[in-house]
Amino acid sequence: MTLTLPQDDLDLARTASGPWQTVVWNDPVNLMSYVVHVFREYFGYSAARAQQLMLAVHHDGHAVVAEGAREQMELHVQAMHDYGLWATVREAGA
Amino acid sequence: MTVPGVALELTAIEVAHLTSLVEQFSALVTEQESDAGDPAIARLVPDAYADADAAREFRALTESDLLQRRAADAGLVLATLLRDGAPLRPEELDAVSAEAVVSIPLDGERLSAWLRTLTALRLVLATRLGIRTEADGDVDDPRYGVYEWLGYRLEGLLQAIDG
Repeated sequence: MTLTLPQDDLDLARTASGPWQTVVWNDPVNLMSYVVHVFREYFGYSAARAQQLMLAVHHDGHAVVAEGAREQMELHVQAMHDYGLWATVREAGA
Repeated sequence: MTVPGVALELTAIEVAHLTSLVEQFSALVTEQESDAGDPAIARLVPDAYADADAAREFRALTESDLLQRRAADAGLVLATLLRDGAPLRPEELDAVSAEAVVSIPLDGERLSAWLRTLTALRLVLATRLGIRTEADGDVDDPRYGVYEWLGYRLEGLLQAIDG
């Protein structure tokens, strides 16, 4: 039994558990009220939080709406695409 | 968040035109995939990663399900637009019956399907109209009127739900 992991395994472990982000991007079509509705309904955010995130998308061009495991972020992105929002997955800090 | 039900009121002519629009949309998402090169489909199934390879891989896994869900949503919407079990057609309405008010009760899955479908229709029309910024839009193009109408109805539904 080894007590230390080889370096390769450590890198893998870090990649697998590293934080990933769901990013929603601004587009000229979706209504602001709709984006707020999606953030409230899907993520369960408060009206104030959803409004704040929508405004960040609108003014900054994008906003991070969730962080966590990559698989979870991919599920979020699929859900955003279902709603017609443009969303991507990225590694935090990338 | 629990979404309460709403009763949407449209005129018969609006219902008839929307029926035709949603039927066309259903055919679009049923018959095409993004590699057919239609930018409207590409907008409904956008890149999930900045990296092209990762985006392609993700799309290969998710695209067909995503488009099937759009078709299923369209089917739910079309079912709510039927009158006496049949779709309304613009050419079958006269000046009086065209203006008759049709009340459409919406809640749960049907309401969600309406919101997603009105949004998806706007995304498709925006692609066709070349709307890339909020200032774009040719007011002389009749499709732009449809695009605006869809936005007006979507906004009305959202106000009824979220106040």
